[in-house]
Amino acid sequence: MNFWNKIDTLDRRWVYLLVAISVILPFILPVKLPVYITPETQQLYDAVESLPDSSIVMLTFDYYPSTIAETEPMSRVALHHLFRKNIRIVTVTTVPLGGPSMAEQVTREMAEQYGKVYGVDFVNLGYKANYVAVLKGMGSSIEAIYPTDNLSTPLSELPLMNEVKNYDDIDFIYVVADNGIVDYWISIVNALYGTPVGCGVTAVMAPKFYAFVSAGQMTGLLGGMKGAAEYELLLGQPARATTGMDAQSLMHLLIIGLVLMGNIGYFAGRRQKGKKA
Amino acid sequence: MRTTVPVVIAFLSGLVLAVSIFFRPDKTIIGQLEPELLVWVTIIGGFTLFLGAVSITRVNFNAVQRRKKGWGYSLLTLISVFVMALPSLLPSTWSPLFGDAEGSIYDWLFQYLDKPMMATMFGMLAFYIASAAYRAFRARSAEATILLLTATLVMLWRVPMGEAFLRSIHTALPEWINTYVMNGVNMAVQRGIIIGAALGAASMSLRIILGIERTYMGKG
Amino acid sequence: MLKNSKIIPILITAFFLFLFLTVEPVLARDSEESAFRTERINALVLVLVFSAAVLLYTRWAKQGKTLFVRKIPGIDAVEEAVGRATEMGKPVLFIPGLQELDDIETIAAISILGRVARITAQYETPLLVPVRYPLVLAAGQEVVEQAYTELGKRDAYNRDIVRYVAGEQMAFTSTVNGMMMRERPAANIFMGAFFAESLLLAETGNAAGSIQIAGTARPEQLPFFIAACDYTLMGEELYAASSYLSKEPLMLGGLKGQDFIKIIIVILILIGVILVSFNVGGWYYKLFEMA
Repeated sequence: MNFWNKIDTLDRRWVYLLVAISVILPFILPVKLPVYITPETQQLYDAVESLPDSSIVMLTFDYYPSTIAETEPMSRVALHHLFRKNIRIVTVTTVPLGGPSMAEQVTREMAEQYGKVYGVDFVNLGYKANYVAVLKGMGSSIEAIYPTDNLSTPLSELPLMNEVKNYDDIDFIYVVADNGIVDYWISIVNALYGTPVGCGVTAVMAPKFYAFVSAGQMTGLLGGMKGAAEYELLLGQPARATTGMDAQSLMHLLIIGLVLMGNIGYFAGRRQKGKKA
Repeated sequence: MRTTVPVVIAFLSGLVLAVSIFFRPDKTIIGQLEPELLVWVTIIGGFTLFLGAVSITRVNFNAVQRRKKGWGYSLLTLISVFVMALPSLLPSTWSPLFGDAEGSIYDWLFQYLDKPMMATMFGMLAFYIASAAYRAFRARSAEATILLLTATLVMLWRVPMGEAFLRSIHTALPEWINTYVMNGVNMAVQRGIIIGAALGAASMSLRIILGIERTYMGKG
Repeated sequence: MLKNSKIIPILITAFFLFLFLTVEPVLARDSEESAFRTERINALVLVLVFSAAVLLYTRWAKQGKTLFVRKIPGIDAVEEAVGRATEMGKPVLFIPGLQELDDIETIAAISILGRVARITAQYETPLLVPVRYPLVLAAGQEVVEQAYTELGKRDAYNRDIVRYVAGEQMAFTSTVNGMMMRERPAANIFMGAFFAESLLLAETGNAAGSIQIAGTARPEQLPFFIAACDYTLMGEELYAASSYLSKEPLMLGGLKGQDFIKIIIVILILIGVILVSFNVGGWYYKLFEMA
């Protein structure tokens, strides 16, 4: 077996080793190359930027703890932007495990930075089962679906919720998600109730939603950690996502290199077989 | 009877939810029925969680009791389920360790065990994507070659290092990829699949509402 | 009948446009007072036309009209995969996606599970069905039990064929991956809604040497399944699978109705492209807006 044959049939564990090195290395030796802002990120940023003072935005934490590396930076940039603009926030989640507590933890941490008060400037409604029913039900009455907030306080005791009865009182919905729930925010909430929806999704999911952005059903899109890094740049606050960009860069280059190597091995092997035949 | 009742329920619920979209909730009975039905659905959804707890306990308890192959894993699963669930079900007024607030046993296990374990599993995707791409991305035909080249361009475009490289070839190359690949070819393909899948879903829903499709109930 | 069916798409498109142009403005006049949401009449027309097409084709199918459905290799491979498992004496692993039962993809997957269970019951091949949601568990158990009972293999049925594994995505994935490596199923069938776990499952199955068939309507997961599986059902093929496997004319009628509507949509898109290209498409565009 010559070198190229070996390359063609390389044990997958060598690939795993290379991946590990290319993810760890940039944290030791950062490069910090500039990030280009895509029109989809700019559109989401502009949509939030154009909201008047004291508007009400529904921010969703529709992701599992498994994807926090990609999704949490998006929630953080959204919170930075919203609190900075003095916009009031209602958070919800359709994810049972971790959704409510992550919303609680991240929102309270950011609220503290901006001196915001729970119940007045932001509310965490938490989780309710059967997301399709929850999304549709909130169109008629949020209180019917969520009689209390995440910490069991009746909504009537929260000043902010006295102003929010259903989607008609929400100016914008900022969805951060790692699963199929995004489809329903568009096809149920935006289509039936007309509330503008902007989304931050994992990089894998992003290509699907370009069609919705183009059709005007989605107001802006953040695709994975790169999307969050672009938003951080727009806010002028480089943070977690910007730091992660080097590792992601090297990882992409490694995959391209591996694909190239695999193809050279494949063609070299075919040529040899042809010669033997 | 076992089939007729569920079919009638499916028909009525499906019809109410489909028709109510066309009526204002405050002016018609159908419009008012919709939010009512949706509240029922969320309540039923909550109850079904018990089914899962019963199933996971029964399957794993049987495995441990009969010393089935891999029963050790089942024992660990049972311990994990109860260690995580029991303290969170007890009222936090008894002790700050109970319930699910910050500082409780549940919160501690979630923050420091569950969360990193889940993130690790998701992180494994990087390894699997690399190995699958290495194995499957071969220029075996003209179509595969086009796919390979497009994938390479998009991968470069999505990261700063790749973008810097693309700009060194032509300054507007990243914008062209965004316009022609992502908002052009990609979008057209996605739309085709989305429209097809949506029609498939609508046709299936119609078959279910009308009781033509009953295989999901074990019939037909 | 065949001749008629060729002109029907054109006639219905004309009817559809006529309704938009005449009925909507009349009803829209008193839209604020009426209980009926006249601004959504376009959606209602589409729903009615779509339902009529599906029911019409189903009726024709019932009357004995032969309906051609193209071959879908991924579905044909299901029987082959179960056959392979039987020969090897190894189980078949079926995952009905990772979404709740109210998701239409999951219902399609449960329908396919019913068909697969009939084949495994027939050959007495072990079947493993891990699920993520309790309601899917209940539906899955019902479907598999029914399949085994109908084929007179009630004794071979075990309640734990369909089992609840974990409610969390990655906990589910790691359990199923462990199952794949320990049990080494001869065939893995992934049908329904999948997310980030698609490649984690399919790559592990590939490493375990199983023949793999996947089907999902999630475009974002298709590349992963295509890279790691032997056959992949794309988009609406997933919904067609249950009808295709059943070979029942009544079910195939639904598929034909769906294709017919697709032709109408293509015609409407082409009209739109032409009108917009000549800069006279504003009114046409508005017809499809929903409030």
